[in-house]
Amino acid sequence: MSDLVITNLTKKFGRLTVLDNVSVTASDGQILTLLGPSGCGKSTTLWSIAGLLKPDGGSIVVGDQTLFNHDSSAFLPPERRDCGVVFQSYAVWPHMKVRDNVGYPLRLRRYKPEALRKRVDEVLELVDLSDQADRYPHQLSGGQQQRVALARALAFPPRLLLLDEPFSNLDAKLRERTRDWLLQLQRKIGVTTVFVTHDQDEALAMSDRIAVMSTGTVRQIGTPEQIYNDPADLFVADFVGTSNLLEGTVIGRSNGILTIKIDGLDQAIHVPSSIDSDGVVVAVRPEALALLPDDASTDGYEMTVNGPVLDRSYHGHHFRYRVGVGEQALVVETRERTDSSHVRVGIPRDGYKLFRPRTATAPKAAQ
Amino acid sequence: MSSSTLTDPKAPPPPSRFGNIKRAWLPEKVIHYGVWILAVLLILGPIVPIVWSSLWSTPLYEGGGSGTLDNFRKLATDPLWWSAVANSLQFAVFATIGSVLVGTTVALLVARTDLPLRRLYSALIVLPLVLPGLVLIVGWQSMWSKNGYATHLLEQYTPFTVPFDLYSVAGMVVMGTVLGSPVVYLFARGTLSSGDSTLEEAARCAGAGPFRALLTVTLPLLRPALLNSGLLVFALALETLGIPLILGTSKNIDMMSTYLYRQWTGSADGGGGVLPAGAVMLLLAVTMLLLLRNRLAGDLARFTTTGGKSSRPANVVKLGPFGWLLSAGVGVVLGCATLVPLSGVVLASLTAVLTPAINPFSLLTLDHFSAILTNPLYTGAIGNSLLIATVGAAIATACIAVIALVAHRSSFRLRGSLEHIVLYPRAVPGLITGMAFFWTFAILDQSGTFRATLWAVGIAFGVRALAMGYAAFYPSLAALGADLDRAARSAGADWWTAMRTIILSLLKPAMGISYVLLFVAMLNEADAAVFLVTPETQVLGLAMLQIAANGLGGTVAALGVIQLVITAAVLGAGRILFGVRPNV
Repeated sequence: MSDLVITNLTKKFGRLTVLDNVSVTASDGQILTLLGPSGCGKSTTLWSIAGLLKPDGGSIVVGDQTLFNHDSSAFLPPERRDCGVVFQSYAVWPHMKVRDNVGYPLRLRRYKPEALRKRVDEVLELVDLSDQADRYPHQLSGGQQQRVALARALAFPPRLLLLDEPFSNLDAKLRERTRDWLLQLQRKIGVTTVFVTHDQDEALAMSDRIAVMSTGTVRQIGTPEQIYNDPADLFVADFVGTSNLLEGTVIGRSNGILTIKIDGLDQAIHVPSSIDSDGVVVAVRPEALALLPDDASTDGYEMTVNGPVLDRSYHGHHFRYRVGVGEQALVVETRERTDSSHVRVGIPRDGYKLFRPRTATAPKAAQ
Repeated sequence: MSSSTLTDPKAPPPPSRFGNIKRAWLPEKVIHYGVWILAVLLILGPIVPIVWSSLWSTPLYEGGGSGTLDNFRKLATDPLWWSAVANSLQFAVFATIGSVLVGTTVALLVARTDLPLRRLYSALIVLPLVLPGLVLIVGWQSMWSKNGYATHLLEQYTPFTVPFDLYSVAGMVVMGTVLGSPVVYLFARGTLSSGDSTLEEAARCAGAGPFRALLTVTLPLLRPALLNSGLLVFALALETLGIPLILGTSKNIDMMSTYLYRQWTGSADGGGGVLPAGAVMLLLAVTMLLLLRNRLAGDLARFTTTGGKSSRPANVVKLGPFGWLLSAGVGVVLGCATLVPLSGVVLASLTAVLTPAINPFSLLTLDHFSAILTNPLYTGAIGNSLLIATVGAAIATACIAVIALVAHRSSFRLRGSLEHIVLYPRAVPGLITGMAFFWTFAILDQSGTFRATLWAVGIAFGVRALAMGYAAFYPSLAALGADLDRAARSAGADWWTAMRTIILSLLKPAMGISYVLLFVAMLNEADAAVFLVTPETQVLGLAMLQIAANGLGGTVAALGVIQLVITAAVLGAGRILFGVRPNV
């Protein structure tokens, strides 16, 4: 059992709080992704797990071993944590051959020469680098160096695999291939993995669970589908995927049904919600919207909007239109092509969500 | 890919999983505190007795006495001290102005024009920095003093004459300019070659002529480098002992450093309390200057231009045919300042007498060299210096490496202070470093046995050279990403193991550079030896200084040539092996 349990982790740099009571768990063998913009505290969390940073509060427990506990002053130095870490810069040691890089953690653990050699060969085969064992890092490509770093992290069976933006230095094509490959590898060896990224596509594709972070706090934890389809707040809706955010005003309230007037729309909409603020934000995914021919039925749509096409662009597998709605613009992504300058956009009944405006719900995010 | 063994990662680890991991034999904390305490004791500790004895009525090793300001009162009422201060200030101010003018001009010509032979001039102007300073001074004496060889040739065959007397404050200013210009040059050159020449190109595109662009864009960008190096030269000029001792003695021109030197050598009680009082004053002046410099250097970042190095060659000003004329002028000045004196030293060492009256090639002799090599006093000094340089540079390099690692690669609480401590010797004049260790040893070891060993001299030389070695070593350390040691830590290495196997392995070339520079510095060091040497522990640099102060001779020149040859050989080897470059 190697569940990772992080409770109320807090870290301050001077007066700046970079981690504010972060609690998150990763179940045995699963991939937990820490997702967020730069400066949200995701890397700080990762360094804290690895022991490379000492937090100011909270606890980190793996299985039955406490790595860090502020209250009991327990702090295990990084070398005693058995975490395999893959750094964003790879941090492959340039003065050592691939074989020696991978064998380093084993040598520290006093492996006998033949056992060490055997294990290094195994791990290198696992990452498809058997034929590069006796080369130096500078003779390898970026992708190969990354696999050396991964092999090194896996050499002494780690109890946790920690990945810090591992794909950010690869080009787009290679990134996608490596992502699939790493996912397969992780499934095969089943090591509990914490993965840090600011790339939502990566997060959605790789994770068992995602923790979305912002300004030192966890905004939402859930499966990729929960995060994408049911964002907990405006920040998550905006950060994960793209969302159209339309500002509206509550003009009526009865029996938990709000009547909302969206700027630029004639019709009001009626939504069951418990939001008590006067202003609200309606979030709609661009791909949920549909372009409707004038004679089409509006069944299944909460409402339709007529507006001018502000601009259009072609993205291969879809078209992207910006449609004017009063002062605001609505982005529509659809496979349908239209040349007309005015279109009718349908907003499906369960295709949008209602949020409090940013200032009311997330004062920090607005800073 | 075989996966059978890869279910292993989930297998339960052996129960003794941590017990058998390799560990350094000293815990991290012990190393950190040990290094810090040692650094404080060795670098800051010896200053304490000087300050203390300046405020004490009797010498510290005699016991008794009480706190007093009498020493400072005595110093303040000594007219000789005040004339020394006046001379020092006059010398330092004008040498700084001269250095800034010469250094900047040459830097601009080399980096921003197509001046013919500019690479040669770049090497010539740095020469005084890499060669033993005393040798150059002796060379100037033999060639450019009133009865120097070159002076006579000049007056005999051309209508020109040497416009200054080398044995005057003006002459010393010229000498100081020769030794200070390379410092300014290196700083200015660094800024110019790292700075983007597109800034000037932008000015050109906006309609400025090349010289206008130079005046309105380039020079303002150089301001921080000039301020920084100017302050450094000023501080060095205040503390220098070699120039006033060799050039000023015959005319009784004293500066602060020589005033202290004569207090020590000239009076029975070693100058009494006046000596430490004067030392404290000089120390304060130099420390304040360097603190000011650090403060300014902190603000220098705002002058740093953004963006990486421009890959295009810098925009150069085409000088046209005028270039050769200018080149000839620069060549004559730099040649007269460096090559002529150096050949003077060589000539003086190989002739019975170097005089314009007789063709020197009819007087060729190796007598001076055989005189040195058969005199145990000199061979002893050479042997001692080589020993101190070889062993001392190795120990000092190791210390620098460990100190730098604790200061920059550890989570040690006091790491921030460590860099300031290790750079502090820069602010301590060499004379005072020697004095500080003399008193420290005198107090700690009343029998004087340790003080009579080479270790005593070696430690002082090592501390004196620490800051310079650190400055050469640190950039390489800073260039290594912190992820490299983090990766080792997570792989299971404790702090020291990670440092040893990863960082120090990667820094071997940097340690090589540091070793070479320290070797040369310790081989040629003279100032710090003044108070420390005993007849058995005489060193090369001080032996030269003492003979040179008593007058010129073939012996000094021969000693200088030996010093020159060893220095050049070591630097040359360092250049080939590690790419050693001149460093301030």
